[in-house]
Order: sequence, then C-alpha cells, then structure tokens
Amino acid sequence: MRLHAVLGAVGLALALGTPALGQTYPVATDPPRTTDPNRLRALAVEREIHERFARGLRAESRADWDAAIAEFTRIIVLDPAEPRGSTARYDLAIAQARSGDYHGARLGLEDALRRDPGFAAAAANLVTVDALDGDLAAARAAADRFVALAPASARARYERGIVALRDNDLTTARADFRALVAGDPAYAVAHYDLAVVEIHDQHFDAAETELETALAIDSGYARARFALGTVYVRTGRRSDARVAFDRAARDASDVTLRSLALDLRDRL
Amino acid sequence: MRWTVLLTLLGTLAAASGIAVSAEATLDDLSRLQVKPSALRDLLGPISETGRVGWDCLPEHAARAATARAAELPTDDR
Repeated sequence: MRLHAVLGAVGLALALGTPALGQTYPVATDPPRTTDPNRLRALAVEREIHERFARGLRAESRADWDAAIAEFTRIIVLDPAEPRGSTARYDLAIAQARSGDYHGARLGLEDALRRDPGFAAAAANLVTVDALDGDLAAARAAADRFVALAPASARARYERGIVALRDNDLTTARADFRALVAGDPAYAVAHYDLAVVEIHDQHFDAAETELETALAIDSGYARARFALGTVYVRTGRRSDARVAFDRAARDASDVTLRSLALDLRDRL
Repeated sequence: MRWTVLLTLLGTLAAASGIAVSAEATLDDLSRLQVKPSALRDLLGPISETGRVGWDCLPEHAARAATARAAELPTDDR
C-alpha cells in the first residue's frame, strides 16, 4: 500500500513536472529604453539585419534565389560589421551562383575575402564559381589562393588538383593529390585522380599502382576500374583490359561510362 | 598474271593491316579520352548571421578539414 502510494506520488510529480521541463523560455531581457535618435536608428538597423539574415537563409533553403538575393543585398546596404558583412556577401554569392550570375557571385566572394582574408569557405566557393563560369585561369588563381590560405585543407588540395589537371599542369596536380593521399590514405578518389595524372604523363606503372590502391579501398569504383582497363590497353594487356572493362560496365551507375566500357570490351 | 595476283595480294594485306592499325588507334584514343579527372565539388552551404562567431560553422569546418569526409569531398564517382 505504501509502495503504491510512493509510486503514485512519483508518477504524479513526473506528469506535472514534464511540461514545465519541456517549456523553456529565453531569459527575459529588458526592452531598450532610449530616446536618443542615433541609438534608436542603430537598434532598428540591427533588428533589420537580424531579420533579413533569417529570411534570406529560409529563402535559400527553399531555393528561392531571387528572394534570398533581395534580403542579402539589403543587408549589405545596411553595412554590418565583421563577420556579418562578409557572411552576407558569401550568402548572397551562393544565391547568385545558383541563379547563374557567376560574375556577381565572384565579385561578392572577392569582396568577402577582402573584408576577411581568412574566410576559407569563401575561398572554396570562389574556386567553384569560377569553374562553373568556365574560367579555368580564374579558377586556378582562386585555387592557389585557397591552398595558400589553408594548406592542410583536403578540399583546397582536391580543388586545385582538379583545376591543375584540367589545365594540364601535371606537376601541381601530382603534388596536390599526393598531399591529399598522404593526409587521407583511405581516400580512393585521390588515388584515382593521382592515377589520371600519371596516365596523362605516360607513367603507366605508377598509374596502375594508384588504381589498384583505389580499387582495394573500393572494389566497386567503376571509373577507377575503367581507367585500369585503359592502362592495360596501352601496355598491351588486352585480355586483362577486357576483364576490367566488363567489370567496369557491371559496376557503373553512369550510363555513358557503362556503354563506353561495353564498347571498349567488345572491341578487344 | 602472276604479278597481278601478287600485287592484289600485297594490296589486300596492306589494306587489312591499315584497318587493324586504325582500329587500334581508335581503341587507344577512346580509352585515353575517357579517363577524366573527378568532378569539382559543389558550393559550400550558407552561413547564418552568428555562424562565424568563433568560426563554429559547418562550411568553414569543411573548407579547412584535413580529411575527405570532413571536407565533404566525393566518396567516389561511379
């Protein structure tokens, strides 16, 4: 009987206590009390910046780029101090890039980096924006800047390696992918891209080693399997190449890669 | 007559070897052209008003991370 009474009391206390625990309110702050016009204006501007950041981010989350551009453009006019000034330019650049205005996005990111030279995310997005715009020289300059800003960054090494490889700068691409592999040896994609560098440089033994490493990490990596097939073709091992292309075709989710692998397999 | 047969035979052999060389070159060219670098990564995501206070925001962490996973790099490109 006593036990039932105790359990009942505990249950009642928990039932009454739960809503109180669940409802937490921020600590009440006194509303600002001032009649100074400059102070009132500063408070109003501060409030507007705060609201427009929230609205701009909500617009970006629903891919409403025009609405996001309007919000962040207004924030920039209001000229908030750092780090919000460069953050607004960064967020605006995302909306501009998504809506195809790469030039505007580039200007915004460069401005963000002028305001805060250590803003690594802005440096990363500048590489992507320049690449999306098809400006390989600008992408390379942005990638160099990103690596200088964050030399231990995997993303910086990856992006500059890809841009350098597209630009046929095999020395830089090799150095970046080697750095990426050294920092993260289990990253199969870095081994693949290092192999692509070696294939471009006619170093088929080195390419084969990197591709075998990539496939040891991820046996279903179809693009690496395909590349290994091409190394076999170019070193005269046709039957090995045929097996590699057949496996690449089976593993590929990309339709173009699959049909090409089948085509090459059937030519052998 | 003998010369005609011989010349025809030589011509046929030359044509056949030419086709073989051409097919080999095509195979080599095709395989070379299709070995491409991986794709560049997409844009890092937006940052909130207070996101960079103390540098505690996901895009900034991804930009500076030393490992591929933390950097939001592709795990493969099939």
